[in-house]
Amino acid sequence: MDTLNILLLGFISIVLINNLVFTKFLGICPYLGVSGRIDMAFGMGLAVTFVVTLSGTLTWIIDHWILMNIGLEVTRYVCFILVIAGAVQLVEMYLRKFFPSLYESFGIFLPLITTNCAILGLCLFINLWEIDNLLEAVVLSFGAGIGFTMAICIMAGIRENLNLADVPQCLKGAPITLITAGLLTLAFMGFAGMIR
Amino acid sequence: MILADIFQLWNNAWPAGLTMLGLGSAFAVALLIASEKLKVEVDPKIEQIHEALPKLDCGACGFAGCASYARAVLGNPELIGKCAPGGPETSGKIAAVLSLHISDSGPAKRPIVHCRAHTADRTYYAEYAGIPTCTAANALPNVQACKFGCLGFSDCSDACKFDALHIIDGLATVDYEKCTGCTACSKACPRNLIEMVPFSQENMMTVACSSKETGKSTRSMCKVGCIGCGICAKQTDVFKVEDNLARLAYEKYQPTEQTQTAMNKCPTGVILYRGKSAPPARQPGKKPTATAV
Repeated sequence: MDTLNILLLGFISIVLINNLVFTKFLGICPYLGVSGRIDMAFGMGLAVTFVVTLSGTLTWIIDHWILMNIGLEVTRYVCFILVIAGAVQLVEMYLRKFFPSLYESFGIFLPLITTNCAILGLCLFINLWEIDNLLEAVVLSFGAGIGFTMAICIMAGIRENLNLADVPQCLKGAPITLITAGLLTLAFMGFAGMIR
Repeated sequence: MILADIFQLWNNAWPAGLTMLGLGSAFAVALLIASEKLKVEVDPKIEQIHEALPKLDCGACGFAGCASYARAVLGNPELIGKCAPGGPETSGKIAAVLSLHISDSGPAKRPIVHCRAHTADRTYYAEYAGIPTCTAANALPNVQACKFGCLGFSDCSDACKFDALHIIDGLATVDYEKCTGCTACSKACPRNLIEMVPFSQENMMTVACSSKETGKSTRSMCKVGCIGCGICAKQTDVFKVEDNLARLAYEKYQPTEQTQTAMNKCPTGVILYRGKSAPPARQPGKKPTATAV
């Protein structure tokens, strides 16, 4: 019961309170770049969720079972990047095979998941928060992906409606998107302090 | 001393290097297996067709871009020839890739604006201060007297991706050097003034007016409109007058003495040349000169 409680709290925390996009400002590039249409945003969110879950789990395993055992924590960054790049390659192949249209619409943003700082950030945060339980690491990684999906889908929904709005000429395009992102972050600040 | 340092560095470095090597090769093997399992067969012809296309992504073919057009052509060879900027040359290349033979599709099409009235030549009933697009202005009756002529906002030049269309003194003017014939402007014009014409000559003769009003009312609205007098049609049968408007049969057009005479005799000077090196049109209001060609 206690474990379940911790896992649930961790999940809610990473999705709402410590959302990587809203509070840590990680992964802004795809957050602004692929949030034009809601179906594409959802696909991007799922791809990121897959990559972040896979790489979060793998990096925890590598970190705790290999690197810490032989005292090579300094090579963490390089190893993590290696894992993420491999996972992204895997996702790319999978999408190309089974969802060609999604693969087309992602374009350059799919290989760019490799450099999505939300993913590397999460892997490093797991280490920083001293998560020493594999299950917890898996749940946190998955939660981070869900949080990212939620953020990008909210953004895409707003931007789809913004297309119909009468935005002043000087704010059209990127400016109104950045203002929206700022307001969304402010809104999500309201969750801060819910769980410590 | 230095040697000892080097040895120490080596002793610290080799486990790290070995770990990275081990991890790297593990991932490499995993990815290798995945790439074999998830292999996608791509027809090399798609790449070849894409090579042959101009890669402008203008959308004239009706597809999202050159890449999707290349894929569509492979599936359905009847789509050859949809690439307007590439023209017959590109069609030939695509046909060669697909081992097909295409029949001659005729000269490349270029847009002709069927109006020659500049702001000074037109009659306006009121000043239009609404949304500055032709589509909006067209929805409002009677701002500009002529219901057929160019409105002079920039719907067509906004649609042009090649900077080949400009509004000069209230008239859309095609820059034939830059035009690729992508048909975007002719789709954008709310008054359907822009017609895609097969340019069999470098400069095509045209009747630059679309007014179907009677001669008298055209005269009252525009200094340079076609009044449907039929003088041109008497010279040669490539001109035809229908609904008070002369039209040139572009397919039949050859530069002959008769067409030149028709142009010179036109009382309003609405018959003129359009093209890459078109001679300047007669000044509006000026009487036709008696000199022959």
